[in-house]
Amino acid sequence: MAGQPQFDVVIVGGGVLGAAVAARLGRTSVRAALVEAATDLAEGASKGNAGVAVSYYGPPGTQQTQLINASNPGWETLTGRLDVPFRRLGGLMVALDADEEHRLAETLAEVDACGVRGQLLTARQVRDMEPLVSDNAVAGLLLPDEGIIDPMRLTIAFARLAAANGVSIRLGERVLAIEHDGDLSSVTTSRARLCTRFVVNAAGVQADHVSALAGGETLPTWPRKGQYVVLDRAFGEKLTKIVFSTHTPRTKGSNVVPTTHGSVLLGPTALDVQDRDDRATDPETVAWILEKARRLVPAVADAYVIKTFAANRPAGDETHRLRIDAEQPRMLHVTDRSAGVSISAAAAELAVELLNAAGLDACDRDGALDALPRVPRLRTSPDPVALTDADPLYGQVICACEHVTAAEVNAALAGPVAATSVDGVRKRTGASYGRCQGSLCLAGISFLTAMSTGTGPVSVRQTARGTVGP
Amino acid sequence: MTAPFLVVGAGPTGLGCAAELATIHPVELIDRIPVPGGEAGWSAPEVTALVRDARRAGVRFRLGNSAVRWEPGRLLIAGPGRIGWLPGERLFYAGGLRPATAADLFITGDRPAGVLPATVAQHLLIAQNRLWDRLAIIGDGPWASVVAGHARAGGSTVIAITQGCDPPAWADEVTTEAARIAIVGRARVSAVRVCVRQQWADIACDGVVLAASPQPNRNVTGALCEESPGVTFVQPVGATSVAERSEIGRNAARGWIAVNGGAR
Repeated sequence: MAGQPQFDVVIVGGGVLGAAVAARLGRTSVRAALVEAATDLAEGASKGNAGVAVSYYGPPGTQQTQLINASNPGWETLTGRLDVPFRRLGGLMVALDADEEHRLAETLAEVDACGVRGQLLTARQVRDMEPLVSDNAVAGLLLPDEGIIDPMRLTIAFARLAAANGVSIRLGERVLAIEHDGDLSSVTTSRARLCTRFVVNAAGVQADHVSALAGGETLPTWPRKGQYVVLDRAFGEKLTKIVFSTHTPRTKGSNVVPTTHGSVLLGPTALDVQDRDDRATDPETVAWILEKARRLVPAVADAYVIKTFAANRPAGDETHRLRIDAEQPRMLHVTDRSAGVSISAAAAELAVELLNAAGLDACDRDGALDALPRVPRLRTSPDPVALTDADPLYGQVICACEHVTAAEVNAALAGPVAATSVDGVRKRTGASYGRCQGSLCLAGISFLTAMSTGTGPVSVRQTARGTVGP
Repeated sequence: MTAPFLVVGAGPTGLGCAAELATIHPVELIDRIPVPGGEAGWSAPEVTALVRDARRAGVRFRLGNSAVRWEPGRLLIAGPGRIGWLPGERLFYAGGLRPATAADLFITGDRPAGVLPATVAQHLLIAQNRLWDRLAIIGDGPWASVVAGHARAGGSTVIAITQGCDPPAWADEVTTEAARIAIVGRARVSAVRVCVRQQWADIACDGVVLAASPQPNRNVTGALCEESPGVTFVQPVGATSVAERSEIGRNAARGWIAVNGGAR
């Protein structure tokens, strides 16, 4: 192994936690790299989640709860600096019978124990607060500090900030081997060999594989599939609160969640599966999700459904893992089954503290960027008329449903961690998220993406993994 | 003098609607494409006749502008180099049709690359001779035969998968009465899984085009649902010919005038 390390830290995994750690390390004196097997960031659980920055997840007293509590108050500031959509809508947990009302009281006790704000509501108060909630509601629990966030934009923004501060973001590089020699580790990827002092395992549902490659602990990990249903903005315009069912012992129940794009997400389900690559939806589960959602919000109609999708969160023997490996003192695990987004800000701080305690010596440096330039969006701009003064291409609407303009698409295709696929443009801009699912805009976006990536209309990537044509 | 009526969509329906409305009130006609005609095309003789009629009736054309946001009394439009509010007394939305999405058709399964709406496939096929070896076309909407024709001309084998009973004439292979459809494929699509008479079967393919029943476009914020204030939707789903569509546009305008127009 060569004597001089290229990097102080190599992060494996480009989900929200890996990217958050990269962004944090970018503001320090150390040299860091992030390696991701997929050709884009946020291709695992960070893509397929409900987009809720939770205030409460429970139970009290855990590191996960501490990190949620530490992250939650800062979302307005952080998302403002990173140009990420966020709105603190508040969440409403709804009880539909006496049993559920009883569980609500138990949940409130846990919410209190976690140090989170929560308030019991009568049936009338629930409906005054969110008129779309079922008449069958007997009580509610308001969690005023819950917010909605765009988890993909958050992940990409973390990585963009990291890249702007000199972190090497290496997409489409699969980690094949991790070997140790004294204080150094050699991370062999499908493209290069990276010599580093520390390894951060933020590989999500692949965390067990990465740990095994590095000779670390056995980390029992398996995919827990969640299916989701997306409803049109025509419905989203009416919903003002995140609506949760009461928790069951197995899952946090079903959710009806407004998104920052104006649509509404239903789900997720939770089913442990074998195949980490299984992201298929099925009609029975989709029907079940709709039925569950209608119990909470009866106005949820099939006609509003614009998309269904599934993703796998990293389930394991621990729901949360942020600690130095027991076997390898220079490897840090950073994984969370369901609360990755919600802990990301504080988890990155703690990760650097733990790495420093293990000998990293990362110090904050002067002159590091802590914000990204804001890209105005036609759909949400309070002063749309002024947009063309900055860039005439704001006048050219590419995505008719979401009103994404050529200026916004070009911004997604440029700069650090630029989009290299049609889906990459979608994740960065929201183009084709709407009711027509790209009927009017996918051709235009694929042409712009093909031009930017030097491919053609057939060979351009439609998703992070596959091209339009064979 | 109140603000003009705004018609969004300069296809046959919008042209007919705008010309009729212009008999009682100023009308501005908006379309995202810089030429009139919509999917019927700007050069068709029936379209040029409709355009002439609308101009004679005094319709003002504002082509190349996307309608973005409607608030009763004004419409935000975006065009090359300029975004602005257009005062409008009422919005008549004739924004045309799109192919049914996977969700509209209750299609489940994977979400791989290689599955495209018919409108997009049409664009790509016109620009490129050969895209797929085996192309599965789901549905028999108005785009299906066009896409099939381009694909077959380029050497692709075309497979039709429809929920109805009638076998389409435009395909090399046909599966009808597909009660359920799922997409199969990880990186790229590899098959369409269909359930016909309780039997599931995989039909191998390397591309899928969604070309089923046309659905109305709804993409102007503030004009997304029937009850949106100040909006009349004119989007005939079943009509096929230019004449039929323009007549439906005219009738919608006449109907609205009969109820609301007398006092104006």
